[in-house]
Amino acid sequence: MAEFFYFLCAIVAIAGAIGVVALRNPFYAVLSLVCHLFALAGLFLLLRAEFVAFAQIVVYAGAVMVLYVFTVGYVGGDDESVRPWHGPAQKGVALVFAGMLFVELCLAILGSGLKALDGEGAPYEAGFGSPGQIGELFLTTFLFAFEAASILLLIAAVGAVVLARRRGAGRVEADRMTFTEFMRPIGTGTTAEAVGTRDAGINLPAPAAEPEREQLESGRGERA
Amino acid sequence: MIAATGPHIDVEALSPLLALTGGGLVVLLVGLLRPRVVREVLVPLLALASLAAALGLAIWQWDADEEIIAGALRVDTLALAFTAFVIVAAAITVLLSWRAVAPREAAHGEYYAMLLVSAAGMSVLVQAQNLVSLFIGFELLSVPLYVLCASEMRRSSSLEAGLKYLIIGSVGSATLLYGLALIYGATGRTDFAAIADALNSVGGPVSDPLFLTGLALSVVGLAFKVSVAPFHQWTPDAYEGAPTPVTAFMATATKVAALGVIIRFFDVALINAQPDWAPALAALATITIVVGNVGAIGQTSVKRLLAWSSVAQAGYMLAGIVVGTQHGIEAVAFYLAAYLVMNMAAFAVVVARARETGLGDAIEALEGIGQSKPLLAWPMTIAMLGLAGIPGTAGFIGKFFLIDGAVDGDYAWLGIVIVVGSAVSLVYYLKVVAAMWMRPAPRSVPVLAGGAVDDPPADAPAGPRAAGGEVTLVAVGCAAGPVVFGVLPGPLFDIARDAAAAMSHLF
Repeated sequence: MAEFFYFLCAIVAIAGAIGVVALRNPFYAVLSLVCHLFALAGLFLLLRAEFVAFAQIVVYAGAVMVLYVFTVGYVGGDDESVRPWHGPAQKGVALVFAGMLFVELCLAILGSGLKALDGEGAPYEAGFGSPGQIGELFLTTFLFAFEAASILLLIAAVGAVVLARRRGAGRVEADRMTFTEFMRPIGTGTTAEAVGTRDAGINLPAPAAEPEREQLESGRGERA
Repeated sequence: MIAATGPHIDVEALSPLLALTGGGLVVLLVGLLRPRVVREVLVPLLALASLAAALGLAIWQWDADEEIIAGALRVDTLALAFTAFVIVAAAITVLLSWRAVAPREAAHGEYYAMLLVSAAGMSVLVQAQNLVSLFIGFELLSVPLYVLCASEMRRSSSLEAGLKYLIIGSVGSATLLYGLALIYGATGRTDFAAIADALNSVGGPVSDPLFLTGLALSVVGLAFKVSVAPFHQWTPDAYEGAPTPVTAFMATATKVAALGVIIRFFDVALINAQPDWAPALAALATITIVVGNVGAIGQTSVKRLLAWSSVAQAGYMLAGIVVGTQHGIEAVAFYLAAYLVMNMAAFAVVVARARETGLGDAIEALEGIGQSKPLLAWPMTIAMLGLAGIPGTAGFIGKFFLIDGAVDGDYAWLGIVIVVGSAVSLVYYLKVVAAMWMRPAPRSVPVLAGGAVDDPPADAPAGPRAAGGEVTLVAVGCAAGPVVFGVLPGPLFDIARDAAAAMSHLF
C-alpha cells in the first residue's frame, strides 16, 4: 500500500514539476504547481511528518498559491505570455543551475549510503514533531505567544482593511438617526451600499460628479 | 496521550497588558457606531481611559517580580517602568491625534485600536523573557505602526513613509528572526535564563560561529528598530512622511520598547557573552552618535531634524547598555523618560504650528513665534535645550548619568564621544531656537480669526486652522517635565533605580 501511494505521489509530483516549466499558459503552470505541492504533501505524510504535510497544504498549496493565482489573474492569462525567452544565454544558465542542483542532490542521496533503501521508513510513532505535540506546546509552553499571535493577526487584518477601504469622500452624516442606524456600522447592510452606489439612508454625492471615482471603481471591477 | 494542563496565568501581573489589548478591542468595536460624536470624542476618550487603566494597573503591580505564563513574560520593575513610559507616550499621542487628519482618514476606531495594540506590543516586548514572545511582541509593535504611518492616505508622502517603514521594518524583523533562530540553534533553548545558563557553561567569550552569527543578526534586527546607524536610513523619511502624532509615538515609544528589549535580551540572556557584543554595540553607538548629529545639521524640516536627533539620542542611550551594569541601565531608564517628554513637547509644537500656518513641518513655521506664541515657543526652546543637554534640564542630568555609567563601566572613550556629540548637536538645536526668537514672523503666515476648532472641514484640509487647546497643553505639560526633573531629579531617579534593580544579577 505504501509503495502504491509512494509511486502515485512521486509520479504526480514529477509530472506537476514538469508541467510548471513546460506549460506555456501561466495559469495552468500555477495549477500544475498546486498539484506538485499536494503530491509533495503526500510524500511528507508517507514519511510520517504530518505537521509538515499539513503546513505544506495550508501555507503553500493554500495561501501562497492563492496569491500566485491572483497575480496571474492580474498580469494576464492566455494571450499575454509571462515567459520571455531571452535566447540561449538564459537556457544555458538554467541548465547550469539545474545541473548543479542535480549533482548536489545526488551527492546528498549517495552520501547517505542508500541505507534507507531496505528500511521501512520512519518509525510510525515519531519521536517529536507530531501535530499533537506541537498543539500541546501551543497550549502550554508557548500559550502566550499563541494567544498574542491571534491579536497580531487581528490587527494585521484591521490594518489591511484600513489601507484598502474605499474612502467615503464627502460623506454627509445625518443629524438625527434611528436606533438601528445608530447601531449599524457604515458599510454593512445592503448590497447597494456595499458596492458604493447608495449609502444606507445617507446619500453619497452622485457618482457622475466624480469621474475619478468612477474610473477607480471600474478598475476595481476588472480586478475582481 | 495525557491531557495537557495549561500553565498558570497570573491575571494580576498580566493586567496592564490585558487593559491595553482589551481597550484596543473595545475601541475598535465602538468606532463602528454611526454618530460622529461617538467616533470623534468617545473613541479617543475610551482609548485614554484604557491607557489610564493600564498605567494604574502597572503602578499597582509595581512590586511584582515574577515570571508569568510558563516563563513567556517577566513582570518586574524594569518591564513595568518601561510599560509606563510607553503608556504615557501613547496617551500623549491620543491627545495630539484628537483633531488630527490621520484618525479621520483611517477611521477613528481603527486608528486608536492600532495605537493601543502597538502599545500592547511594546509592553510585551519589554516583558519578553523568551525568544518567541520577543518576536511576537516585536511584530505586534510593528504591524500597526506600518499602517499608522500610512494612515493619511491622501498624502503621498504618508504612503511613502508607510511603505518604506514596512519594507525596511520587515527586513529588520526577518534579520532578527534569523538571528533568534540561530541563537536557539546554538543554545537549544528559547527562554532567556536557560540561554544564559547554556552560555555560562561555555565559560569565557563564546566563540561558537553559529551563536556569533545569530548574535550579529539579532543586533542588526534590533538596530533597525531603534534606528541605530548604519541601519537608520529609513528614519528621516518615515518620520517626515508619517502623520506627526504617529511620528511622535514612533520616536518615543518605539525607542523605549526597543531599548527595553535590548536591555533584557543582552543583559539577561546574553550577559555571559558580553565580551562578544559589548565592543560591537560600542562601535555602533559611536557611529550612531556621529551619523545622527552630522545628519541633523543640514535639515530644514523640523520632523527630519528630530528624526536625525533621535538617531543620535539612540546612540547615547546605547552607551548605557554597552557597559552591562545596573548603573548603566539606571541611566538609560532616566534618559528615556527625559527624552520622551522632551520629544513629545517638540512634536506637539510641530503639530500646532503645522495646523496654524499650513507650512507643514518646515522650520519657517516656527519663525518669530517667540513674540506671538510664547506658549509654543517656550516648550520648543526647553525641548531643544534639553535634548542638547543644557544644565538645568533633565536632559543634562540624563546625559550626566549616561557618561558616568560609561566611565564607570570602563568605556570612558564612549563618554567622550557623547560629550563631543552633544556639543555638535547644539548647532542644529540652537538653529531651531534662533528661528523662534531671533527671526521675524514671515508675513505670509495666515492668521486665523476665530478658528473653526470644533468643526474642521470633513475633507481634511492641509490649510491653516487653530491648533486646539490640547496640543498646547501637551506642549506645556511635556516641557514642564524636563525643567521639573532637571531641578528635582529625585522622583524620576527613584523610578530609574527601581527599574535597574530588576537586573539584580548585574552589579
